[in-house]
Amino acid sequence: MAESSGDEDCTETDFVFYRDREEWKDVTPVEQDDGPYPVVAIAYSEKFKDVFDYFRAVLMADERSERAFTLTEDAISLNAANYTVWYHRKVIVEWLKDPSAELQFTENILELDAKNYHAWQHRQWVIKEFGLWEREIDYVDKLLTEDLRNNSAWNQRYFVISKTTGFVEDVVHQEVSTFTTLPLPPLLEVRTRLTMDLIRKVPNNESAWNYLKGVLSQTGLSKYPGLKETLLEMYGNGIDSLYLMSTLIDIYEEELQSGLADSNCLEQALELCHKLATDVDYIRREYWNYISRTLKSRFGVPTQ
Amino acid sequence: MEGEEKSEEVNEDFICKKHAKFFRRSLDVLPSVYSSLDTSRVTVAFFALSGLDILNSLHLGICDYDCSHIAMTYTALASLLILGDDLSGVDKVAVIKGLKALQLPDGSFQPTVDGSENDMRFIYCACCISYILNDWSGIDVPKVVQYIKKSGSTFCALASLVLMDCLDSSFATKELEQVKRWCLFRQMSGFQGRPNKPVDTCYSFWVGASLKLLGSFCSVDFLSNRDYLISTQATVTGGFSKWPGHTPDALHTYFGLCGLSLMKEPGLREIHAALNITQRAADHLHQLHEKDANR
Repeated sequence: MAESSGDEDCTETDFVFYRDREEWKDVTPVEQDDGPYPVVAIAYSEKFKDVFDYFRAVLMADERSERAFTLTEDAISLNAANYTVWYHRKVIVEWLKDPSAELQFTENILELDAKNYHAWQHRQWVIKEFGLWEREIDYVDKLLTEDLRNNSAWNQRYFVISKTTGFVEDVVHQEVSTFTTLPLPPLLEVRTRLTMDLIRKVPNNESAWNYLKGVLSQTGLSKYPGLKETLLEMYGNGIDSLYLMSTLIDIYEEELQSGLADSNCLEQALELCHKLATDVDYIRREYWNYISRTLKSRFGVPTQ
Repeated sequence: MEGEEKSEEVNEDFICKKHAKFFRRSLDVLPSVYSSLDTSRVTVAFFALSGLDILNSLHLGICDYDCSHIAMTYTALASLLILGDDLSGVDKVAVIKGLKALQLPDGSFQPTVDGSENDMRFIYCACCISYILNDWSGIDVPKVVQYIKKSGSTFCALASLVLMDCLDSSFATKELEQVKRWCLFRQMSGFQGRPNKPVDTCYSFWVGASLKLLGSFCSVDFLSNRDYLISTQATVTGGFSKWPGHTPDALHTYFGLCGLSLMKEPGLREIHAALNITQRAADHLHQLHEKDANR
């Protein structure tokens, strides 16, 4: 629920109302019809009302023209969330057969709101329709350099690669060397090693742990050579990270399930649950007690 | 049943009367800075109506809407339910036919026939519409389940599966345990939406309701969740914002109340986690379904 950013007070700009423009004299503006009992009315600014009264007229006449194109720009800058205006702009761009303004236009909108779905959708359509793939990865690179967590930019990167080269091996390698923090090479060992390097550096970054689990989900955590030993060593060195401890519990659980567990496996898992519930992860104490109960009921009470 | 008229004590730090005022103002008129909500006014109306319902403060006349966006259709139908309407004025055939036109080959839904974005959110809207109208013929359910299994957006996915009665048949126990843990790991004080993101009021509902649907809401630390929610109340104007001290809005106010209601905050009606309306409104719907079945 972003507040409108483009709707400045009309007195401070040199905006000329559409109703006062000579070239629009032939058009009768169409006011919004809210019926007799409007709900959630909005106290539109005069400029907003003016622009959208004319936009409604253009829409009803299905007008495709240079002036209608300019009008959509004003309407979008006043409310970039209006999907109907975006749609009509698309119709006009198709009619003009000229996409030259669209990349810059969407970039301006995305600069104000990096997540604006309509702008991304419009941009993807323009790129696909007119084959403007060439500089798109550069744009995505720029956005990711500014904010590595820009989900929309990652999505756009996926869009470009999947629609052009596809995720062939060289491209994946290229991707990996560009963003070593989020590795995606084809080899399990390389992926795991890079992730473990990252985990050693920042043991409390949950994303890295989730990625490790994703990478090893086919193999199984307990089957990956040396992983348990590495984690136990880290734990022994005083790294009592929630993610490290919960991954160890997962490894113990896998071992218990496979029937190949050491005799004190369950006990160690329960001890970790206890430490999480009482100390390291008190906020989730109910959950760790639940895990502890589940393990006990599935794999028996430890002897002695 | 809880959520009946009750005069129970309300906690001092929970300014529920101000929140009701906030919603009444929203239903009436919003200032021009909210112009970006122009195409979502039906949804804002839903937040306000359902919010007032949760607050047990609903006394309004009936309203009518026309709509062309799947989220508006869903929130309009939900609003009619909240207002006690029997949906006899809804052209169900047209709505279901409309749904059919919106489903894409991969199983997901687009919100408008013009074709724009498509994802989990609109699947959830489609499921709510089908559930409310008690007619699933507008949706290719197996295709939706396929799509959900490869996708994210936890609440919309889980709630859609619950509404289609497909949750347990779609996932192995181990997979559900993983989703539970992922959701519970989102609690920091309130809840965050993704790892490494700041907490935000609305996730006390999105993640909280997901946990409720998974049967694990009891593992949440109520006290710290409540403390966070209470700290995001706008004490002068009423309403909730996503972070303490920010501008309140209808969405965060609504989901803040939902978050508190999940923890049975005194003075609030219980909510139906999958449908995202009060249990009272859901009961009304189920009565309508029963009437239809007996006809």
